[in-house]
Amino acid sequence: MSALSTPEPDAVSPAARIDIRDLVCPLTWVRTRIALGRIRPGEVLEVLLAEGEPLENVPATAEAEGHRALRLERAVAEGAGVFRLWLERGASREEGEWP
Amino acid sequence: MALTEAEVARYARQLILPGLGEEGQERLRSARVRVVGGSPATAPALLYLAAAGVGTIFVEDPDPVAAGDGAGFMFGAADLGRSRAVAAAEAVRAASGLVQADVQRPGARATGVLVCGGSQEVSRAVAEEARLLSLPHVVAELDGQGGAVTAVPVGAPCYACAVRPGLGADPTPAGAATVGALAALELVLLLAGAAQEPRARRLEVFRGTPLTRATSRQPGCPCATPPPSP
Amino acid sequence: MSGTLSEKSVLVIGAGGLGGPALLALAAAGVGRLVVYDDDAVETSNLNRQPLFGEAELGRRKAEAAEERIRRLHPRVRVEGVDRRFDAGCAAEAVRSADVVVDGSDNFATKFLASDAAVAGRRPLVHGGVLRYTAQLLTVMPGQTGCLRCLFEEPPPPGSVPSCAQAGILGALAGFAGALLAAEALRLLAGERGAYAGRLVVFEARPGRTRIVPLRIRPGCPACEGRLALGAPAAGGSA
Repeated sequence: MSALSTPEPDAVSPAARIDIRDLVCPLTWVRTRIALGRIRPGEVLEVLLAEGEPLENVPATAEAEGHRALRLERAVAEGAGVFRLWLERGASREEGEWP
Repeated sequence: MALTEAEVARYARQLILPGLGEEGQERLRSARVRVVGGSPATAPALLYLAAAGVGTIFVEDPDPVAAGDGAGFMFGAADLGRSRAVAAAEAVRAASGLVQADVQRPGARATGVLVCGGSQEVSRAVAEEARLLSLPHVVAELDGQGGAVTAVPVGAPCYACAVRPGLGADPTPAGAATVGALAALELVLLLAGAAQEPRARRLEVFRGTPLTRATSRQPGCPCATPPPSP
Repeated sequence: MSGTLSEKSVLVIGAGGLGGPALLALAAAGVGRLVVYDDDAVETSNLNRQPLFGEAELGRRKAEAAEERIRRLHPRVRVEGVDRRFDAGCAAEAVRSADVVVDGSDNFATKFLASDAAVAGRRPLVHGGVLRYTAQLLTVMPGQTGCLRCLFEEPPPPGSVPSCAQAGILGALAGFAGALLAAEALRLLAGERGAYAGRLVVFEARPGRTRIVPLRIRPGCPACEGRLALGAPAAGGSA
């Protein structure tokens, strides 16, 4: 997994939150990607996710697609095996033109 | 309207593509594509438009189903002799409950056109109709094991400017499948807003290798003048 | 190769985005026997690109549903759906009983195995791959042209190439590539030189650009030099 920056101050409040604990690949990344698409570049998405495939894939895929994984921590209050991830949406990917 | 859960599940593997996303998928859903059939490329083209999530498809095809019509993708023995447009629309509906597919109705309004005409004359005529209505359109031509696909975004050099003679070989099923899928691909890219320059282009598939040329206007062609706004 | 198409047999690995259109086109062309390997079940997210299956097939085993669909559309073709993973245990025999192999699989381990088995079994292989907006095609003529190990000295390490689940794929592009695989297989069956023999053809769909990479047999390629046991590591893990 790529190196994450040291924990950001809690002053950053997420523009949106999603809970993908119950989802299975490919929907784990798909839902995250949709949620990122709905916030603006620079805004933060908070993701509640399970360990295993989601934890292995979602942060890495997000970074590979130009977003920043700001922080990842165990969501102890939510129970064992649950993590909380903050993703900052990257600059807009270029879109094609309308037909 | 945001994508439903059913749509997200169905289109999961494509809406994560750069240049597509939820927005692009919504554009596909609101697209209404008139498909003019006549060649065996029509069947694969229809199935791939539906698979991509084009929301509404109108099928126009005057002929009955004959053996070999579907390039292998559609039409079993029980369909022989039936209206090809009716059988094709039925096959599309069976492939996806998220797509409204029907035989072309008078007055049905389209936002894009896919032309798989059985002859050059038909294809040119339909392409010209689409151009005059300022609709993006894609034209598929078959030629032996391959053929050509011409993409005409709004305002681009027209099909008549782009077309070049091929070898004139009889279509083959693999060629029809190749060209039909490619034609659907080109129209999907245009409708979703995911195409990249040169968006106005002609792809010729010869001996398995696609070669692409940007299209350009022939001097004196009427397509230099934009058609009156609808 | 001599004999008519109806006497020929094609092995297709994978009944999905690439294998599906390839099978339909091969059947329509009149190939006598088709054998397809797929150990998966039909899922909703498959339906954006796999024309052998519609909503009615959700949950069904792909090998069985593929066989049924092809048989219904092409009753004269002998089609056999094999519901098992194409692995080192069955690859050699599967390849041996075919005239041409079409690789429509979706992971590198299987692709390397297919290439190794084709080279070892001296059968031509048509390799196809689609990822995001890029399709690639290559024909391996054993002993004459480069194989997948000539192209990639080392298989990509696990995690370095995004899986289709992460990277996305458009149905129509897979259909285009699958149909091209079929057309190439038909050329080989007719005794013609393949269009992708010794040439990796890479098509980028958004700009419509094609690149061609010549591929000779690489000196030292363990597969082409017959030094490889089938099932040699592909992605550093199980084949």
